[in-house]
Amino acid sequence: MTAKSVMDPHPCILNPSDTIKTAAGYIMEHRYRNLPVVSDDGVFLGVFGVNCLLRLVLPKALFIDKGLDNVGFIHESLHDLHDRLREVENEPISVCMRQDAPTVSPDTPLVETLLLLYQQRTSIPVVVQGSGKLMGMISYFDVGEKILSA
Amino acid sequence: MQATHHTAEVILGLDPAWYAGTLFVITYLLIVTERLNRAIISLTAACLMILGGVLTQEAAFEGVDFNTLGLLTGMMVIVGITKNSGIFQYLAIWSAKRVNADPWGILVMLMIVTAVLSALLDNVTTVLLIAPVTLLITDSLKLSPYPFLFGEIFASNIGGTATLIGDPPNIMIGSALGLSFNDFLINLTPIVLVILPLTILPIYLIWGRKLYARPEHRQQVMNYRELDAIKDVVLLKQSLFVLALVITGFIMAHDINMQPATIAMFGAAVLLVLTNLAKSAEEQSKQVHRSFCEVEWTTIFFFIGLFIVVYGVETTGLLEMLAQRVLDWTGGDMSVTAIAILWVSAVASAIIDNIPFVATMIPLIKSMAGTFGGAENLMPLWWSLALGSCLGGNGSLIGASANLIVAGFAERSGQPIRFLPFMLMAFPLMLGSIAVSTIYVYLRYL
Repeated sequence: MTAKSVMDPHPCILNPSDTIKTAAGYIMEHRYRNLPVVSDDGVFLGVFGVNCLLRLVLPKALFIDKGLDNVGFIHESLHDLHDRLREVENEPISVCMRQDAPTVSPDTPLVETLLLLYQQRTSIPVVVQGSGKLMGMISYFDVGEKILSA
Repeated sequence: MQATHHTAEVILGLDPAWYAGTLFVITYLLIVTERLNRAIISLTAACLMILGGVLTQEAAFEGVDFNTLGLLTGMMVIVGITKNSGIFQYLAIWSAKRVNADPWGILVMLMIVTAVLSALLDNVTTVLLIAPVTLLITDSLKLSPYPFLFGEIFASNIGGTATLIGDPPNIMIGSALGLSFNDFLINLTPIVLVILPLTILPIYLIWGRKLYARPEHRQQVMNYRELDAIKDVVLLKQSLFVLALVITGFIMAHDINMQPATIAMFGAAVLLVLTNLAKSAEEQSKQVHRSFCEVEWTTIFFFIGLFIVVYGVETTGLLEMLAQRVLDWTGGDMSVTAIAILWVSAVASAIIDNIPFVATMIPLIKSMAGTFGGAENLMPLWWSLALGSCLGGNGSLIGASANLIVAGFAERSGQPIRFLPFMLMAFPLMLGSIAVSTIYVYLRYL
């Protein structure tokens, strides 16, 4: 068994030129945690999801490596957070998608794939090495259904 | 560090001066190129100094200034524990709110806070804790952090110049000569109090007058609650008590006949006792391990290796020869020598690490005592070295470790400080501070 056997071959995808506003609306409406961002010729470019949105609504300084270790003194309203999102909502998702998201190849062994799914706690893109084409996505629910029906 | 000459039997029949001199130059070049970690370079060179026969192991240990190492280590432990209280963030936020989140006011206040903390603690820890808050504040104000970070780099190096414990060159000079905390306070703090406002002025003309933040963004900063930055009130009280004890100890060091290393180490020990008293054996073991991890061992090992290398060169008489050359060049005139040391130290410290430079200059200046009628007449040269090597760190991004720490934060926040643009602004400003120092040294000591 490999990653290919448990993946969803027709996942919902985003285009790098989609605006943050459009992508955010889509993600919130369908309750997706992460969606793959794919170019017009099917090449996987990264992922965009709820974590990207959280990053956009919080102060940038919070995400600096070895930066603030205590943020309890920052007091912001929902309005402040929304304002921060509004400032960037018309920009394309390509500027803030996660480009270093871990991926598996279609022939990655099943156990290795599931361990990565467990460690990452989010859907894993299946990408062909070399061409970089997106083959599908592996989510908890796809895997769960297949295991339960086995 | 007193040079005790001994008969060197260098391998392969090489002249000890040549062997030690070549090893010293190669060590410097490798440190400058940064191809290898500086601690690895200095330790390897120190071992080669012993293996090559320039020094015996016993002689090498004589060259290590344990007073400098003890002072550095003790202060690193104290600061490492203190920072967990959140006091640094508290001060940064408090200062920003005192000026009603006015951008120029914040810049000045953060520079003052950085300078004061750098004078009393080490520069790297200060900027490590102030820079992230600065980035948060500028993010809220929708302003570029560049002028703020630039100002903090300058403030950390200027503030560090003011005291015995502010900057490693001062620690090394103070330890080598047995100078007290008060000696630095009396001789360097006054000029630092002049240089800091004089540095703020050009920063205002270049950036400050154009800084503007909208009222709603300023309100966001005003909404920060500085008291919430304090994570551990008990730890804060314990840390402030020990810091006050240590600073008092430094001020009274001569009266109580104590070396700075003993005071700093005792302070670290007292703080460790206070913070571990109520803990179980297992918790204590973890806590102590964490506290000792706060020591920058890379710097400590760098110092150990460097002391041995410089001592090796010193024992061959090479530095004495070099000192004589300097004196020939300056005509043995105290004023020319002091001003030359001030300017050369400043330019050198902007380009290379000021720690090896000062380690080399100490025995070199000491050997000038004969020309100037005794060691007690060399004080103008020591203050020139301290001012040049500490303030020179502002000349470039690689001039001081604190500069690189701030640049690292800027890079990670997506607004990098580039080497050349920084130097174009910083180098003339640094030269300005050296010009002011020249007037000070001339009027006060020459």
